[in-house]
This record gives sequence, structure tokens and C-alpha cells, in this order.
Amino acid sequence: MSYVLTTLTKKKEIDSIIRDTIDKVLVLRFGRASDAGCLHLDDLLSKSAREVSKFATIALVDIDSEDVQVYIKYFDISLIPSTIFFFNAHHMKMDSGTADHTKWIGAFHTKQDFIDVVEAIFRGAMKGKMIVNCPLPQERIPKYQLLYKDL
Amino acid sequence: MNAMNEKKINNNKKKCEFEFCKVCNLNHDKGHRHKYFPNHKKSLSAFLSRFQSKLADIRFFLKNPSVLRPEHASRNRFWCVFCDADIDEISSSFACSANAINHLASEDHVKNLKHFLWKYGGEMNHMDAYRILEADVAKWEKNCKSLVNEAAPSNDRSNMLQVGPSNDIRNELKNKNINDFENCTFDPIKSNLSNGVMPLHYFTNEYQISHSGLSADTNVGPFVHDAIFSIPADAWISNDLAVDWNSQQPLPYKNLISSSDLSYRGVSQGYQGGGMVNGVTSSQGSHNITQTSATPPKKAGGNVHTGGPPPWFEATEENHLSAELKPISSSFISLSNKPGKKLNPKRVGAAWAERRKIELEMEKRGEIVKSDCDDNWLPNFGRVWQSGSRKESRKEFEKEKQKLPKVESHSEMPLKIKPYISKRMRRDASESE
Repeated sequence: MSYVLTTLTKKKEIDSIIRDTIDKVLVLRFGRASDAGCLHLDDLLSKSAREVSKFATIALVDIDSEDVQVYIKYFDISLIPSTIFFFNAHHMKMDSGTADHTKWIGAFHTKQDFIDVVEAIFRGAMKGKMIVNCPLPQERIPKYQLLYKDL
Repeated sequence: MNAMNEKKINNNKKKCEFEFCKVCNLNHDKGHRHKYFPNHKKSLSAFLSRFQSKLADIRFFLKNPSVLRPEHASRNRFWCVFCDADIDEISSSFACSANAINHLASEDHVKNLKHFLWKYGGEMNHMDAYRILEADVAKWEKNCKSLVNEAAPSNDRSNMLQVGPSNDIRNELKNKNINDFENCTFDPIKSNLSNGVMPLHYFTNEYQISHSGLSADTNVGPFVHDAIFSIPADAWISNDLAVDWNSQQPLPYKNLISSSDLSYRGVSQGYQGGGMVNGVTSSQGSHNITQTSATPPKKAGGNVHTGGPPPWFEATEENHLSAELKPISSSFISLSNKPGKKLNPKRVGAAWAERRKIELEMEKRGEIVKSDCDDNWLPNFGRVWQSGSRKESRKEFEKEKQKLPKVESHSEMPLKIKPYISKRMRRDASESE
């Protein structure tokens, strides 16, 4: 998948992509290229990359790389794949009925679901909202158990 | 009085169930109020005018009935927006769009029309525009019958494909066609709207000259464009009809806008643009071979068959030159340079975006060096288990980061804890010794 989407392995790269994506949603997927769930998500992402290209940029972050560990801690990434959305270097939260609003955990059921989510984020961001509601129905949102932080 | 006011307010706030407005194509919960909104009114007028144009095609048939071939009947369908039903011509009687005409005159349709106008708020006095009156239908039926009588004797001839000179009969028909053309009531502007293509003017003189050498194919009646593909490939010339018309003796190219093609847009999608569309026949029973242009064949440029360059190549050479001169701009800058696009100033991170854009532009010009991006920069991130604002979460994180190395250094250099001995005591101790 990395021939379609850029994979980032250094903190500097992540920094620059966050800072340089202007007026577009930045979709950062944290995961491993070898994990099955990540592969599923990556497939969806690469197929829809062109469709959302006018209002979103997609990039993959490899969590096994040393440099990005600080981000993994900062973003509290414990389950993969985790997708985090930024807009103009501001982090966008999405309330999808799960415990963690700061990121999207898991893959999507269809390309259209992903596009809908990114569109919702974009619309909210353009209106000035930093947290948006998820447009997907509950059955299409992957569920997970979030460990409490000190466990 | 307060109670009365409250009641009024309550009445206004009564919530309606969601319903779907098929004019605006959206769901709303305003109930009956929706049809008075200006947006709805605009959508309604667009919606009805679209339907009107389709009706206009059918009305053309009402005035000029023509025979519908059974093999083409399946392509002619019409969706009635008031009845929410497809009306196709598969089982229709011999005449073109008979089913549609009958439907538009039927009682059910009128009922549905009334209901639609009530629900979506159209003008009730214009109702007749969306239906066909019974008197008109009667007239049409009479016309159809007379058409059938006329067509009966000529039908036998028309169904046979005749190759080779059989000039007499065809000349007769051709002449009839030419004469009829002057009498036809074809409205070029109207047919433009339904086809989207400009018909060329029809020169009767050239028609007579060019058709003298034809070996023919007398396919009478409305001939849908797509059926042309059944003619052998070498006979069908794609672009330059005028060139080969005189030089070869192929089977004639049947590009016809007959009355059936006029009405059913979906049918005639295969047109190749301006070069092809030409004259029209209104009378049934004539063949419709027309020449595209009167100009003499162009030998200089060549065409697809002679292997000449396509005309767009000359255009692209110029484009290539100009494209190279254009500077390549980076994606985010070009987005912002779109003329006339003003982004919402209240959007998330607007201030950041503006600042960053300026910075990037300055960098491009080579003026400023990136200064504020240090290695420890982190975006403001709203963490999962945090309370307080996002900036605070970053500070928290950095504190946590700093705690970790401190813990390590503690273990490496254990400090010896000694009790505090004051100077006096030290002095005394040394003195005493």
C-alpha cells in the first residue's frame, strides 16, 4: 500500500506533514504494515485516497519505528490501527459512541464509510468545530475495549 | 394573557414527522409549511420545466403521429413524475408514444396531478400544461388511423432491402420527400433542445445530385441511430462524410433524425456532434438520407482513413509550449490561489493556516528559515483521559516525559543523606578536638 500512500517513519516527517497540510483534513493511520487489520484499513485508504484528495490527505505511520514512539505515547495509541484526524495542525475529535473520541480505532466497513467520516470532519472543521459527530450508524463502527490509563 | 402567548408559541413549535419532498429531493420536518419556502419554490419551477420539455416532445407526436417500429419501442420510455411511474411503449399500438399520450389523458393521471399540485404547491390554473385534453387525443387517433391507411400499401415495399438500381420507385419517394420538406412543420429550435445538437441546413439541390448515384437501402420509417451499427463497417464513414460520399458508392449512411429520435433523447446518444446532424422528415414513409455538408471534399488535411493527423494535434502543440512555461506550484499553495474562494474565517485553525501559508511562501522565495519547528514540537492534542484544555494536555505530556528521565537519574546517583551539621557545631567539634 505504501506505493500509493506515504509512510512516515520519523517524527520530523510527521511534524512537517501536520504543519504543512493546510485547509485539508490530515488522516494519519498508526499501525503496522504486516497486521491484518491494518492491511484492511490501508486497502480502503489507498482506494479512496484519490476521491478525497481535494479535501483530505492520507498518510501512514509505522509504529515500529523508534522515532515515532513519542507520538505513540502522546496520542495514547494502544490498539491498532488507529487513525487520527488533523485540520490545520489542530486535532479533530469525533464522537462515534465509543470510549475514545480522540481517534478512530479499527478499519471501516466500506470505502463510503471512510469517505463519510472524513467528510463529516471536514464539514465540522470548516464550521469551526473541533469535535464532530460520527455520521455512521452504530453497527458499522468497530467496537473495542479501552484499557484505563494506569492499567 | 401569558397562558395565551405560551399556547401560541407551543403551536408554532409543533413538530411534524419527517417526509420526503421529491421536488427538492430532501427530507424535512416542516410539514405543509415546506412548500411555501423560497428554495422549494425554485426547485419546483425547475422540476416542472424539466418535465414540460419532455411533454413538449410528446406533444409533437400528438400533432404528427408516426409509426413506431416494435424493435425500437423498448427504447422509448417516459417517466411521469406525478404518477411516479414509467410509461413504456412496449405494448403500445402502432403509433409512436401512444401509451404516453393515453396516459397523459387518463383520469388517474389527472388525479395524481391534482394531488401533486396540492402537496407541492404548484399553480392550479396551469394544470392543463401537464395533461392532454381528450379532444386532442380524439384528433390524434383520427390522424393515426389515416396514417395506417396510407402506410398499408407502401409497407410491403419498405420491408425489403433492395440492393441495386431500382430508381423509379425510390425517385418517386425521394421527390416526395423533397417536396414534403418544404411543407414540414419542423421547428429547428425545438428539436435543438431535445437533441442538444445543431441541425445543418438541408440543401435540396445537393440532395438530388448526390443521391443519383446511390445504391439503396430503403428502410422506411423512423430509424433509430443505434441501428446504424448493423451496416457493414466499410460502408459507414465516421467523420468525413462529404469526402467519401461522392468518391465511393457505399451503402448510404443513415443518420436520421426522424420524429422518433427527436423525442427520445436517450435513444440518440450516439451522435457525433455537429457534423452529423442534418435534415428532418416529418412525413412517414420516406427515407431519410441526408448529406452533411455541401463543401467539396477536403484532400489536404487527410482523414482517419488516409492517415492524416487529427485536428486536435495542432492545438495541443501550442498547449504543450504554454504548459511548460507555467511554473509548477506546490499543492497547498495552488489550492489557496484558486480565485474567488474565500474560506470560512471561523474554521478550525484558520489563524494557523494563514500564518503557515505566509511562512511557506516566504520560504519559497528564500527569505525565511524555518525557526519555530524544533525537535520537541508537538501538536495540541486532546488526550483521552484528560481534563482541561488541549494545551494543558501537551504540558501534561511533557511533564510526564520529563519525569521519566528524572526517575532514572535518581537511581543512578543515590544521594547520601546526611544529617545537617551547623557551622558552629563543626567549629566546636574541631575546637574540642
